[in-house]
Amino acid sequence: MSVSQPAYIHFGEYTQHVPEGIPQAVRQATQRFATNRAAVIADFPQWEQLRELGSAIRLHTIENLDHYLERLELAVQNQGGHVYWASTADEAREAVLKIAKSHRVALAVKAKSMATEEIGLNEALESENIRVVETDLGEYIIQLAGSGPSHIIVPAVHMRKEEIAALFSQKLGIEVPADPNKLTQVARQVLRERFLSATMGISGANFLVAETGTLVMVTNEGNGRMCTTLPDVHVAVVGIDKVVPDWKALSVLLKLLTRSATGQKLSTYIQFISGPRREEGEFGPKEFHLILLDNGRSKILKDPIGRQVLKCIRCGACANTCPVYQNVGGFAYGWFISGPIGAIFTPQILGPKVARELPFASTLCGACADVCPVKIPIPTILRHLRQRVVEGNGGIPSSIPGYLRLMAAFASGVLSNPWLYRFGSRFLGVFNRFEDRGWLTRMPFPFNRWTQVRPLPRFSNDFRAWWSRRELKSKGNDQ
Amino acid sequence: MSRTKVLQAIRDALNHTRGEATGYPTISPFRTQGSLDAEAQLFFNELNRLSANGFEVTLGDIKPHLEALVHGERIFKATIWETPLLQRLQIASHLRALGVDVEPPSASKYDIAQCDLGITEVDFMLPETGTLGLYSRKDKPRVVSLLPRVHLAIATPAALRPDLYQVLEEAKAHHYLVLITGPSRTADIELTVTLGVHGPQRLIVWLLRED
Repeated sequence: MSVSQPAYIHFGEYTQHVPEGIPQAVRQATQRFATNRAAVIADFPQWEQLRELGSAIRLHTIENLDHYLERLELAVQNQGGHVYWASTADEAREAVLKIAKSHRVALAVKAKSMATEEIGLNEALESENIRVVETDLGEYIIQLAGSGPSHIIVPAVHMRKEEIAALFSQKLGIEVPADPNKLTQVARQVLRERFLSATMGISGANFLVAETGTLVMVTNEGNGRMCTTLPDVHVAVVGIDKVVPDWKALSVLLKLLTRSATGQKLSTYIQFISGPRREEGEFGPKEFHLILLDNGRSKILKDPIGRQVLKCIRCGACANTCPVYQNVGGFAYGWFISGPIGAIFTPQILGPKVARELPFASTLCGACADVCPVKIPIPTILRHLRQRVVEGNGGIPSSIPGYLRLMAAFASGVLSNPWLYRFGSRFLGVFNRFEDRGWLTRMPFPFNRWTQVRPLPRFSNDFRAWWSRRELKSKGNDQ
Repeated sequence: MSRTKVLQAIRDALNHTRGEATGYPTISPFRTQGSLDAEAQLFFNELNRLSANGFEVTLGDIKPHLEALVHGERIFKATIWETPLLQRLQIASHLRALGVDVEPPSASKYDIAQCDLGITEVDFMLPETGTLGLYSRKDKPRVVSLLPRVHLAIATPAALRPDLYQVLEEAKAHHYLVLITGPSRTADIELTVTLGVHGPQRLIVWLLRED
């Protein structure tokens, strides 16, 4: 097992100690993106048609992945680029290190990339004394702070502007007022200097077009353009699932991606890069290196239900709509990919021993499947993976603790007996003893599994009593 | 060796022998073009929503508009694509007459980074999204629309396309394209939208109508 991969993901344990401030910050971000998404989709009448098409394109591509990867490789080489295949994270890191060393790189600038987080690239480069600077503003802030991302699009959303100002003062020695505009201008100046002096730019990709060997990058800040325009060497680390057959398919997927991710019709900058620069004066890198990362993806393809996770275009809409994610944030999912998509990706890559709790980190409400732009049946895959975990899957015991089983058995007994249910519901009011201004915030074991994470509204009414009073009233009105 | 390993793992998992891919869906454009005036209006409306700025200019307007821009945005140094249209419009000499220092686009990245203003032409315009498409070549380098604080794009109606579909079908024959939709932006600090984080803070588009 490589250093970049966790040995066990303690989702349940984490949810009992969610750091203060995370749920509010994450909820604010997710609601912003979800609202923007809804507005821009309401404005696009053919949305469902587009989703159907996107889903068909992605399924077709992963089911013919070998074919498109070979086309892609040939096309990249024809454009003057270099292609490397990495079946593991270790191989991918080694490939990048080798390129960096052969150019004696001292400073590399990096655009936000999930694949490089997946392989733990920064640590590997830094252990060889190659300095790596994250250049997406949010990523830069959390790199300075030495923490991880809490949200895919706004990684530092859990930090307040005062904390960021203090961080800039401490790490950069620059005193800035706690104002987002001024903080951003400071980051612009500091990072501009890095862009101009770095000799290597590292990126991921949103798509790789097999038809022409083109790398497609979608960004808003412009840091992605800097990283792939100013340094002499551009290295991209990209999962093999990112391939797209041709530019027609790309036009569909780009429309789906940007609307779903941030609710923008198109993101600010979309680059289509085919190989290195052709003439010196146009700027752009002299060399283009593409590392194709498998790291367990090919293994996922075996399972016709599970493989659909590879249709994902990494928009984050599923996380933005997920009630579980909104309450626990991105750290809970233990690896570079979080939210519902993480809950079906991570267990399939790292195996049920490491990530057996993740398929259970969902209420199966189905909101994720409703918003997924490429129609990944996330709840179906979650149930499928739960079954694989519970049915042993290599001798792994069930992850459901005894007391929960007992409670489930008890609940099923009560719920299947109307008399007992009615009798029991009269006692719900007892819980209101724990009320604090309309919310139940601290309940005793085992009910504290809920209130440790978030408050529960007080039990205010007996529905049956309310209904029969209402019936009586309306009858009275009729006469 | 990893190449064979990865490809073989995929073929084993999918139960594939080497062969052609089948069952690919048919994809067609999603939008048709309206009249020139309607498309221009739609484009300008979208630009405004993006906190960018765009309007129509005629040949005679160029000089006064440049003067307003240079004073309004406090431009001391600028760089310009060396394309036939921009040369014909004599932008560089107008700027010099206004006291602006003009760097050739072949200058070093450090010199271009010192420029307040970068002026480009555009290869594509998408009205529905307020998007500009720019290729890359020696006379039209990528940095001009990226490093300066203000980006002025001068477009002609010939650059209008109805949909992303048509842009991408044309662009696939080129080795580089960037689509620009509004000024550089971020919401990374407390979700506050902030312009000009790495790329230009201001984006201005002039649509040149010669009729």
